[in-house]
Amino acid sequence: MADTELAEVADFLSRHAPFDALPESVRRSLPRRMTSRYYRRGSHLMAVGRDSDDLYLVRSGAIEIRDADGGLVRQGAEGTTAGSTTLVGGNPSRFDVVAMEDTLALHLPAAVFHELSGAYPRFADHFDMERTDRLRPTATGTRSTGHGEAILRVSAREVARREPVTVPLGAAIAEAAQEMTAEGVSSLLVLDGERLVGILTDRDLRRRVVAEGLDPARPVDEVMTPDPLVADADASALELLLTMTQANIHHLPVVEGGRPIGMVTTTDLMRLERVSAVYVAGDVAKQTDVAGVAAVAARLPRIVDQLVEQEVSAGDITRMVTAVGDAVERRIIALVEAELEAEGWGPAPSYCWMVLGSKARHEQALGSDQDHAVIVADDAPEGAEEYVAALAERVVTGLETAGYPRCDGDVMASNPRWRQRLSGWRREFRQWIEQPVSDAVLTASIFFDSRPLAGDRGLHEALTAEVTARAPQGTLFLAHLAKQAVLNEPPLGFFRGFVLAKAGEHKDTLDLKRGGIGAIVDLARVHALGNGLASVSTRSRLLAAGRCGAMSETTAGSLVHALELISQVRLEHQARQTRAGLTPDSRISPDELTALEQRSLRAAFQTVRRAQQALAQRYPAQHYS
Amino acid sequence: MIFGRVRSLERQRTAAADKTPPGPLRDYLLTPLPEPSTPVESLPLLAIDIETTGLDTSRDHVLAIGWIPVDGEVIDLAGARRVVLRADAEVGQSATIHGLTDDDLAEGVPPVEALGEVLQALAGRVLLAHHASIETDFLAAACRRAFGVPLLTTSVDTLALQHRLVTEGVGAVAEPRPGALRLWAARERYGLPRYRAHEPLTDALACAELYLAQTAELSLRSRKPLTLRAVRST
Repeated sequence: MADTELAEVADFLSRHAPFDALPESVRRSLPRRMTSRYYRRGSHLMAVGRDSDDLYLVRSGAIEIRDADGGLVRQGAEGTTAGSTTLVGGNPSRFDVVAMEDTLALHLPAAVFHELSGAYPRFADHFDMERTDRLRPTATGTRSTGHGEAILRVSAREVARREPVTVPLGAAIAEAAQEMTAEGVSSLLVLDGERLVGILTDRDLRRRVVAEGLDPARPVDEVMTPDPLVADADASALELLLTMTQANIHHLPVVEGGRPIGMVTTTDLMRLERVSAVYVAGDVAKQTDVAGVAAVAARLPRIVDQLVEQEVSAGDITRMVTAVGDAVERRIIALVEAELEAEGWGPAPSYCWMVLGSKARHEQALGSDQDHAVIVADDAPEGAEEYVAALAERVVTGLETAGYPRCDGDVMASNPRWRQRLSGWRREFRQWIEQPVSDAVLTASIFFDSRPLAGDRGLHEALTAEVTARAPQGTLFLAHLAKQAVLNEPPLGFFRGFVLAKAGEHKDTLDLKRGGIGAIVDLARVHALGNGLASVSTRSRLLAAGRCGAMSETTAGSLVHALELISQVRLEHQARQTRAGLTPDSRISPDELTALEQRSLRAAFQTVRRAQQALAQRYPAQHYS
Repeated sequence: MIFGRVRSLERQRTAAADKTPPGPLRDYLLTPLPEPSTPVESLPLLAIDIETTGLDTSRDHVLAIGWIPVDGEVIDLAGARRVVLRADAEVGQSATIHGLTDDDLAEGVPPVEALGEVLQALAGRVLLAHHASIETDFLAAACRRAFGVPLLTTSVDTLALQHRLVTEGVGAVAEPRPGALRLWAARERYGLPRYRAHEPLTDALACAELYLAQTAELSLRSRKPLTLRAVRST
């Protein structure tokens, strides 16, 4: 027995685009056609003006690509490729490729690169996209997968989710139209036995039947488009999109072995892209029971996974997760209201259901628990409390069914303390601001991030107007908040000496929330409340704090950037956990981080630490001693 | 004196070739070894890893050999190869380390044939291994058994290089931490990828990559161009 398979290299290739798109047999034989070299930090893999005849693939370490003017094109760690532009456009190189860390690189010779590009369009597409995209550095600069990767990876079979709607050849036009209406589709296929012979769309009915005054009893054969363009089940979604754009059509039947297995529309392809969360929110609103809402909400982790892969920014992703969460909570509230009314509770009294914490800030992550409270109008009739209690109890159970766990600290409307009349809430907030007790402020901080979700928004506005006006005067209160905000120290010790040499010694995990995201959120809250800013989201709080001079605009910008970076690392970590069937959390092991990510994270945590020190000076300790 | 020793190695090599019957070992011995003055940028090596039933060359057997050529600063993946040796002896407890089963070994190539392949690949190259004495001792014993003549090699040992790198220069420690010189720990120092250990071809590749990283660092520390003389252990 003798073999030559380099399993480690082949496995590595299978984890990185565009090699993952190659047939397995091709991929397994590829390592034998490569060489491997080691580059010290700072040394050149490619240099402007020099010839280069290889495609470079980072096996470990990190590289930086700059154009002839020194402008940064891309930075990337493990899995990043370089050199394709020169291989396609010819020597000499117009780019500098430099090792940012000590780097082990695989070299794929030009001849093999051209052979693969010719034989596998997806392989070539990857580099075409990378070239068009290269002037857009990624947010973290750590990932190499180009935008639009999802559309490359998903096949026609996966996009065409439902069975095609069909009529036999010879069916009447009217019959076909009724079928389309009944199935709620905009096109159908005409079959001769099992064979696809034509397609009929809404547009054909409009233009060839209605506008021409054609008798709908005529056979469908007369108005269908015969021998339509079709897509193979294995074609990528990108190929479908290209076919459809070039032919200016909106429907494309998918065939497998000559038999139609589904239909793809331009709308289906749009759904693949980042708008998919909007569809989920839309679908949630259509559900008639909690089980239905839960089923739709279960699609969210997969969408987040896609969005992470498409390099959508962390801020955009948490906004979408929040939007879906909002839709779920609103729908469940509406369903429970209807249920209560059917049970004879009568119409709902005037109340406002508000969400708190990360959800209020539009920063919800997967696996977030429930945080909500209710304001009952002062003039609501007697018995309103009982109604709201019943409502809250059922909404909490419903949300739990839909995948949102109960709040550990019991900050939920089902807790009688957190459903009060407006006047009660005013007293509560005045107490927190004017006679703060350290522990109470700790529990209360979540209430300073709130947003109305259902019911009478006016109640919430009345409350927050007062809080925003009073908070800047609450010196002691602000000092407590500030103390709390600087308490969550960024885990800089984790990074101390976190150089390559010692990477193996850190067995601990890093909490991205405590000293990272959580610390930035706390900082932003103190600055917002201290300066009477009405913003709730952390990003807008920071930017507003920068504009009003509470901190420098540069600091505000750096903190926004740090928040985005840490959130992004957390999202990627959670997407990996979800894929592995684990419960998403915020604790990351150093093994999951590339050297470049470690460095970027360290810089982000240092930014947070500096901002905390500045805050501690602004609200010195004597204020609360 | 080093020069003298090298001369004697060359003399031993030709003398041994004369005594060796025609075959792979003779062919190997007839190919000159790289000169000690060869700069590492153009030094040909063969990274080798062998899996055995134990550490005693008189009792234990070679079960599998993996190798991969290094040409100067380039690892040539095309030359990667792994052979499993036919063995009648049972692998016993060592199977828990290398994962080779008795069935794998029953289908292996005859030991003499495997040795011939290694010698062909090694001709004109420096033997490169992590803790190289295991590889050189077992190969020498196998040659003695098969051809009646021991193997003459020049070798570079990445474990010895690691010891030097850790104990010499800025920030050096007198004594390396326990385990710090092991292949996987040494690789971590350079941020090299983690591999599954104890598969001979993977281990040979791991050793080759480590060698590139080590010589890159040694070149940086050295004022003179780095040569075979500066990195070899035998």
